[in-house]
Amino acid sequence: MKKFLKIFSFIICLSALFYWTIPTQSDTCNTLEKIKKRGYLLWGSDAEGGAPYAFPDPKDPSRLIGFEVDLAEAIARELGVKARQSQNAWDSLIPALKRGDFDMVMNGIEITPQRQAEVLFSLPYYIYTEQLVVRKEETKIKDINDLKGKKVGTLSGAVAQDILTNLGGVDVKIYSGQVEPYEDLALGRLDAVLLDLPIAAYYAKPNPKLKYTGNPVGEGFYGIAIRKDDDELKKKIDEILIKLLKSGELKKIYEKWDLWNDTQEKLFKVAKESKDYVTLEEIKKAPIYTFFPNLLRGAGITILISFSSMALAIVLGLIITILRLYGRPPLSTAATAYIEIYRGTPLLIQLYILYYGLPNIGISLSPLLAAFIGLGMNYAAYESELYRAGINAVPKGQMEAALSLGMTQSLAIKRIIMPQAVRIALPGVTNDFIALFKDSSLVSVIAMVELTKTYSILAATTLRFFELGLIVAFLYFVMSYPLSLFAKKLEERLKGPMR
Amino acid sequence: MINTVIKVENLHKYYGDHHLFKGINLDIQKGEVVVFIGPSGSGKSTFLRCINGLEYFQEGEIAVNDIELHSINRLRPSKEDMETIRKIRLKVGMVFQQFNLFPHMTVMENIIEAPTRVLGINKNEAVEDAISLLRRINIERKANSYPDELSGGEQQRVAIARALAMKPEAMLFDEPTSSLDPEMVGEVLSVIKDLVEEGMTTLIATHEMGFAREVADRVVVFDKGDIIEIGTPDEIFTNPKTERTRIFLSRILKI
Repeated sequence: MKKFLKIFSFIICLSALFYWTIPTQSDTCNTLEKIKKRGYLLWGSDAEGGAPYAFPDPKDPSRLIGFEVDLAEAIARELGVKARQSQNAWDSLIPALKRGDFDMVMNGIEITPQRQAEVLFSLPYYIYTEQLVVRKEETKIKDINDLKGKKVGTLSGAVAQDILTNLGGVDVKIYSGQVEPYEDLALGRLDAVLLDLPIAAYYAKPNPKLKYTGNPVGEGFYGIAIRKDDDELKKKIDEILIKLLKSGELKKIYEKWDLWNDTQEKLFKVAKESKDYVTLEEIKKAPIYTFFPNLLRGAGITILISFSSMALAIVLGLIITILRLYGRPPLSTAATAYIEIYRGTPLLIQLYILYYGLPNIGISLSPLLAAFIGLGMNYAAYESELYRAGINAVPKGQMEAALSLGMTQSLAIKRIIMPQAVRIALPGVTNDFIALFKDSSLVSVIAMVELTKTYSILAATTLRFFELGLIVAFLYFVMSYPLSLFAKKLEERLKGPMR
Repeated sequence: MINTVIKVENLHKYYGDHHLFKGINLDIQKGEVVVFIGPSGSGKSTFLRCINGLEYFQEGEIAVNDIELHSINRLRPSKEDMETIRKIRLKVGMVFQQFNLFPHMTVMENIIEAPTRVLGINKNEAVEDAISLLRRINIERKANSYPDELSGGEQQRVAIARALAMKPEAMLFDEPTSSLDPEMVGEVLSVIKDLVEEGMTTLIATHEMGFAREVADRVVVFDKGDIIEIGTPDEIFTNPKTERTRIFLSRILKI
């Protein structure tokens, strides 16, 4: 035992040591020099659904293409090094930059006062506008003033989200990928989508079911984000951008991607004025409690989804178990196949198929319904296995005694076997409920804004990942701890005689 | 022939390739007490379980009163076969070595469960019947206890009462005292003896030779799936005809 303790404390010390030696902030050593020494520029972006910014080449997915890839290569060339992209979820690019994961971030990051409080921005390299997209047959929505009471999709953390929120009365649906809002629009789940023009140009323009409507709104700048203390790198990148602008290379890149328009001429003006064209504003320092209503609503949705899908799992699991153990083929075979398939594939994939896949064959589910069915059907497979174990744990003599008294098999299952099996399975079912509770965060991928999604949206807007994260973790804990106490109590009670 | 309650004809049973019963014939008359003895694994328990449909058999016929059950396809008995087996079970009560009381029910609930749910007797009537049965086995005051609060002997007596509550025409006892502590064997055997004296048709598989000798009308000796000898207790115990019976008895009586 002593030896074990020794080894254990050694491991703790070792991991603590590792933790402290991992560079958490950029070193005082200058990033520009580091890039040159290293021989490549490391830039962060999210290539998942990232067209036309940076995305895998459809002809050769191992290669990234996009206008930002071209731009990064041009910048690297001017620095005398190669460019290397580092993949990171869009929501957390800025935190990752601050942590030191890469030298800069270039991924359609809009220059906003909140972000300027966090990082330095280069001169703008593109002037984006927000383009409203509707279905081809839509006639009522002509511009963003017609959006009151409509369902409008946009990206989490994008400027378009602020524009829509400020309009008031718009039912804003938040997505984390740029493909899904347009899919949902085409399917009729949304009335319109407001997103940056480059995104619309790539995803919406070629889609025959969709069309642009109204003039672009909300002009703003994309800038390259750089860590606060990297003034030298910023200066160098600004120089390079001005050079690329003047030489016409930047224009060429944009023309190649069909992104050049008259608006971009303003880049020259901005470049001439140089320096900080957007004044550093106050950080968004709203007191933390202003987020509570949103978080509590998210928690409410989490509870709703968890309870309803657990109820489905318990009932469906029971039916599957009985079919599997007492049914005849093909019913018993089907039940076994159900369990194996659901346990053998990731829940995430099941949710994607349910929500994004089924519309391909003409079945369109609302996010809430898809979440309920997806989680419920997945957990039914696990509940079924628990029941089966419970039933197998009931001694064989119980069934024989029941049958010998003239009971039919179904009466014996109902009156003698099941009551005993449920007692055996109950602690496991409660534990599964706790697991489902946390797995419910996965449904955020199907546009369901529950607690985890609420967190990632709020945190991406305010960049207050830490304090919001603690609050959200606390909320999950407050909701699941009573369940775990209940499970413990049950287990103790059921350990004893079976009554 | 009129008085035959249980009739077994040409019974064959296989366990995979193992041919256990090779055509057994046995008739049991109304009110008769037949005790089955023989070494462990000789087939005496399996024989009783076949009569109650808890074991399937591949060839032959078992009849209880007028209900005839022919060989059963082990994998998938048909609906009619299942119903025939159930009808037989309604006529024949069974008591197991391991008692098999329902642990989640009280003694009273154990006894009235089948009469109310299977026979459709109303609950008050079933409770009254149960009380008189419990009085007979002398554990009336444990009616509201759960099985795990009872001694082994008490549990087995309740199991007998539970089977009797279905008012069977015959009772099968499958080694009813084999898992009991020695001091509890007597109370269970005395309940069975009372039953026998009331004229119940009774089949018992047991290792209790003294008891067999005392209550049996006929003793059936099993060995390796064969009936090697049938006779009155006197014939079997004092003057066995076969060498195998003699060896078995000498072994068991020495212990």
